[in-house]
Formats: sequence, C-alpha cells, structure tokens
Amino acid sequence: MSPALATLLLVVLAGFLVTIPLLPAIIELRLKRDAQPLDVIQQYGGDIRHFAYGFRRIAVELQPQLQECVAAGTTVTGALPDGDEYILLGHPDESFFVPATRRDSTWRSVVVAGADLALPDDLTFAKEIYAAGDLTGGERNTFRAILGEKNIHLQRASKVIRWAHAVRRFRAAHDCDLYGRISADQEIQLQSGCVFQRVNAPVIASGFSDTTVGQYVSRLSNVAADAAPSLPPSGRTLYDGDLEIRAGEVVPGSVVTRGKLHIRSGARVLGSVKSNGHLTMDSGASVEGSLIGGTTMHVGSNCRIGGPVLAERGIVIESGTHCGSAVNPTTVAAPAIELEEGVLIFGTLWARNEGRVVPTA
Amino acid sequence: MVYCLFGIVFIISIYTARHYSFTLNRLFGFQRHPYIDTDTANWPQVTILVAAHNEEKVVANILTALMSVNYPQDKMLVVPVNDRSTDGTREIIDGFVDKYPGRIRPFHRTGGKGGKAAALKDAMEMVETEVILIFDADYIPGSGLIKQLVAPFFDPEVGGVMGRVVPLNVGTNLLTRLLDLERSGGYQVDQQARMNLHLVPQHGGTVAGVRLSALREIGGWNDNSLTEDTDLTYRLLLNGWQTVYQNRSECYEEVPETWPVRIKQIMRWAKGHNQALAAYAFHLLFGKHRATFRERIDGTLLLGVYAMAPVTLLGWFLALGVFYQGIAPLHGVIALLAFTAYAAMGNFAAFFEIAAAVRLDYTRSRICLLPFLVLGFGVSIFSVSRAFVSQVLAPITGAKFHWDKTERFRTTP
Repeated sequence: MSPALATLLLVVLAGFLVTIPLLPAIIELRLKRDAQPLDVIQQYGGDIRHFAYGFRRIAVELQPQLQECVAAGTTVTGALPDGDEYILLGHPDESFFVPATRRDSTWRSVVVAGADLALPDDLTFAKEIYAAGDLTGGERNTFRAILGEKNIHLQRASKVIRWAHAVRRFRAAHDCDLYGRISADQEIQLQSGCVFQRVNAPVIASGFSDTTVGQYVSRLSNVAADAAPSLPPSGRTLYDGDLEIRAGEVVPGSVVTRGKLHIRSGARVLGSVKSNGHLTMDSGASVEGSLIGGTTMHVGSNCRIGGPVLAERGIVIESGTHCGSAVNPTTVAAPAIELEEGVLIFGTLWARNEGRVVPTA
Repeated sequence: MVYCLFGIVFIISIYTARHYSFTLNRLFGFQRHPYIDTDTANWPQVTILVAAHNEEKVVANILTALMSVNYPQDKMLVVPVNDRSTDGTREIIDGFVDKYPGRIRPFHRTGGKGGKAAALKDAMEMVETEVILIFDADYIPGSGLIKQLVAPFFDPEVGGVMGRVVPLNVGTNLLTRLLDLERSGGYQVDQQARMNLHLVPQHGGTVAGVRLSALREIGGWNDNSLTEDTDLTYRLLLNGWQTVYQNRSECYEEVPETWPVRIKQIMRWAKGHNQALAAYAFHLLFGKHRATFRERIDGTLLLGVYAMAPVTLLGWFLALGVFYQGIAPLHGVIALLAFTAYAAMGNFAAFFEIAAAVRLDYTRSRICLLPFLVLGFGVSIFSVSRAFVSQVLAPITGAKFHWDKTERFRTTP
C-alpha cells in the first residue's frame, strides 16, 4: 500500500471514529425532533377554578337534554366526545345510587344531576359529578371531582381526589381527605381530621359549625387588616441574630431577622415580618403586613395577620387566629400546614405536601 | 510557570466542584420555591418598565401580552421606555397607548447617555410604585407571570426578583439550539441551585423586579455599568437585600440567531461582569457589610465566571509550555493521575449541569446536541477573553465602553 493511500485511509478512519459519537447530535440537528421551545404556559393564570370551569362547559352543552330529563323525571345515558359515558339524572333519588352488590359501588360514568343530589354511603365516583342543586354526600364517599352549582356537603371520611368547586358553600365533615383543589365562591368549612392541599374561598373556616361562620364573619367588619396596605410603608430593620419583640410593643416598620424571631403576646407590627429561623407569635399578637418564615412558624391563638403568611417548611396556626380579611384576602402557604379548629383564613390556603385540621388543644 | 499552572488548576477545580454541587443539589436536594404559591393577596401597585431601543419587530408582542395578564388592571401601569429609537417603535407604542387608555404611559427618550441602565435611570421619574418589574422588549410574559414576580416583594428582605428566561426561537439553527441548552443549564440548575442553597441568585435585568425603596437605598441604577443587572445584584447584596430566583416564573425571549450577534452579546456581558468584579469583589469578600459568609464566597465566584475564560486560556498555554519544557510536575505520576481525573470529571462538569437541566425540563432528544456545546464553549472562551484583553488595555488604547444593542430576528411583529 502506498504511503499516500495509507495516510488517506488513516484520515478517513480517524474522521469516521470522530463522527460516530456525534451521529445522534447530527441526526437531531437535521430532524429537529425536539426543537420546540419549552412549554411555558402563556394563558393559564393558575386559577384554582380552571378545571371546574372547563367541566362546566361540558355540563352546559348537556343542559338541553338535562332539562328534558328534569321535566320528564327520567334518566338518560350517552357518551361525551372524548368517549366517557355520562348519565343525566332528571330527578335524582338516593335509592338510585344504592348498589345492588358491593362490586357495584363504583360509578364509572360522568354524573350530571339536574336538581339536588343526595348520595348514600360508601360509593366511589370514578368520573366527575355535576349537581345543578345542592350535593350532599354519604359517609366514606370517594369523588374524582365535583362541581356544585349551589352547596356541597361531604360527610365523614369522604375523599376528593382532584378538585371540587361549590358556587356557594363547601363543607367537609370530620376526617375527609381533600386532595387537589377545593374552592367555593362563598365559604369553605373544614372539620377536624380533614386533610387538604389547595383551598380557596372568600372565607375558609376550620372547625366552625355550619351556621356560625357567616354570622361570625359579618361581625368582623372594620378589622385592622381591612385597612392594611398591600405593601407596608418602606422602612425595615435588619437583625443578624435572634430577636424578641416584647409583649405589647408596637413596631412601626418591617422587621427582618437572620435568626429566630419571637413576637410576644399582644405585640403589634405595623409592617411585615421575616424570620430566617423559627418564628413564633404568641397569642393576641398582630402583624399588619406579611409574615414570612424561612423554616417553620407557630402562630398562637387569636393572632391577626394582614398579609400573606408563607413558610418554607411548615406552619401551625392556633384557634381564633385570622389571616387576611374579607376586604383584603390573602394566602397562607407552606409545604405542611396544621390548623386548629377555630381559625379563619380569607383567601387561599395552600399546603404543597399536606395540610390538616386538628382539634383545639 | 508550574506553580502558576497549579494555581490555575486549583481555581478551575473550585469552579468544577461548584458545578457539581449545583447539579447534585438540583437533582437530589430540597428545592426552594417560597413565594410561588402566593395565589391571593392585596396585590400592590406595580410599574412595568419595558426597555425598547429600536424594537419595532417585537415591541407589539410584549405590549399585547402585558395587556392580557391576570394582574388587577387598576394596580398595574406599563411604561415602555423608548430609548432613542429611530425605527417605528414610537409609533407602535403610541398606538397601544391610544388603544388602552390609562394603562400604558410611554417614556419617549430622545437624547442622553446610551444604554439600558441610563434609560431606566431616566425613566424612574415615571415610577411612583414600590414594586418595579423590568422586561426587555423581546419578551412575551404569560398570563400569571406578573403576580408571580410581584409575590416575593411581600417578603421585606427581598430587594430583587428574577424569573426564568426561556428561548422562543429554539429551532432556527445550531446556535439557537445551543443557546437553548445553555439557558436551561444556567436557569434550571445554576440559578435554582443558588436559590436552594441561600447563595446569590443573579438579577438578570429582564423578567425581573426591584423594590423601589431598595433601589433608592443603593443609589439607583448605575448607568456606567454595561450590565446593570449584575451591578444591581451586588449592590443589593452588600446592603442586606436579597435577590430571589423564581424558576417557575418563566418567560419567552428571543435568542441571537447569528454568531456575530451572539459574540457581541457575550462580550458585553463579559465586560459588564468584569466591571462588577473590579468594583465589588474585594469589598464583598473582605468588607464589612450584610452578606453572609456563604454569600461572600458564592458571590465572589459568580463575579469571576467571565474572568475564568482568559484564565483557562492561560492555563492551556502554560500547560503546553510545561510540556515542551519537559517538566513533569510532581514526578509525573500525580500529574498524570490528576490529568486523568480531571479529564474524566472536570471537563464534563458544565455538560453534566446542562444534561441535568434538560432532564429536569422533561425534554428528550435535545440532549443529543450536547457534544456541539464544545463549539459554543470555544466561541465563548475566545470572545470573552478578547473582551477581557480589550478591557485591560482600555486605559492604554483609550477605548470607551459602549452599549451594543442585541439585534432582533422576529419576522412577525
């Protein structure tokens, strides 16, 4: 073999060997199999009612048929465009859902009820339920999703897997597991033992009886939080270590601590508060702005907080505390949240991992 | 020569370890998103500054997007900062002002110092709100983005906020695809890891926010800086204000589609970053201020990232020199082991970071393009080194720093 040919072969072979690892890259560059921009959600603003509104559009399309069923008192079945079966109930009767056998206790159709809907115990609904009137569950029911045009009342030990929305009030009895999104346009009540993740309503009450929340909230007009500014006036004090705000002390601006913070009973902060360590609020203390915790936070009884309450690890809130107000709703968010009975939250309650309502100590 | 080389290897090793720690943190560590769940609040008044210098190709897109966000309309004012534009930018902005009365108040700047920082500085006369958001004109914010960027300001320690930049024109050519990968690594891993580890997330000057009282406290925008965002990050840090990064606050941008535009962009970034290095590194590391120990270390390393390009180049030349001089450092064996270890681990730190980012983004085939990043890396290292040299020689050559606007490529305004 001539030296020139040998050299050429060597160059070709070397080029081939260099190209082999680049082949997947060259193929991807040519074919553009994954050349779309990352999927940044442009139109969805994070509304908790997003799925409920989407389901309502389906229910609206079924309204003409549903009205006929209501008028005739009949039941009709059919299939949605996506293939899911539905059942339209003109005059839903609790006995209609009573399973003949244990194996029949799971409903696999979308249920659309034209009037009030009352359900027996121990049923599972694998698809969405729509109720044009009130929906009253049975004990130990499991729901995928519920849209109630009036009130939703879940009985003890029921479960919601994805979402539930009530146009008026949503009430969950003891020991319900409320995964996903729970919302109501008027009020939500959660009894002790309830587990929750994301909850939104003008008023969220833990442990109140079903008749007292409205009366109680109506007496709360003109509370300090109503007048609180969205962002307190500038002026903050930064502390590198731990800090204690004495009982009854009034702090005019915002406070930031790099360590722990203890706000003693009756103290009042007119600005916002941030603690990079554990934050403790004793009973009767108030913060007009936001309350931000770098780790965990314990809010004692009968405290008042005007702005968002956020902690990076967990929050415990004791009975009688109010977060936000009817005029200025707010957010309480942390990976883990524990609410005692008797807490009022105006706005959003969001526990990424798990929230729980516990009996008053 | 050998000891100089050892020093360079030591510094490179620190950056390598940093890349790995960030990547491992993103893959396995606790992820901090402390403000992202702020869903309901008494939202504050906000002014949104849109920096626009000859942006007729893109400015309509961002104004349209901002008019449809879910932030309360009565609490949001959009101020397009039309900085001496000579194209149709002014007419487009004025058209939007007529279409959305009371919601857009333009700031038409016809003279004055060049550059984004100078324009923003002048536009501050229009700002009366405590929260200011800043976008470049080629960005397209989504419906929920404004609330996400405002939410951190409920924290009284936060002075600046930065969201995630996502390239829109990914599929145009090899460059845009490489920049897409680089952005993924830089934001999905690098910025979020710094957030997780309580280090120094960097303000990017767009998809970003700043608190007015913090800005006033630190003396306002520095119009002598080529990268006002880096400058802002460090002045906030030195004064006890945090800059936080929101990885889920994503916004589309347009990345350069030609290499000359990319080279100009990265050279400006390098010069601006090096300005900040010269201005703040010593004080940050040793001075008396409010930054924590870990912020001092990470902040200094962050300031040095663009200086690492000429340092690496110098290391390569020194290594060649050592080789041809026949010097075998530490009897050769240790050097060989070190070389092998670095070849196996160190060289791939940045690639590992980008691969992890792609994985975290749930994308699939684009990871195949990783080997081509060597090309982008090569261009960057020489461009940044060139910027460094020109900066060092500036006192001798008399060269002035000036603002180079990044060219836009969008064809459908």
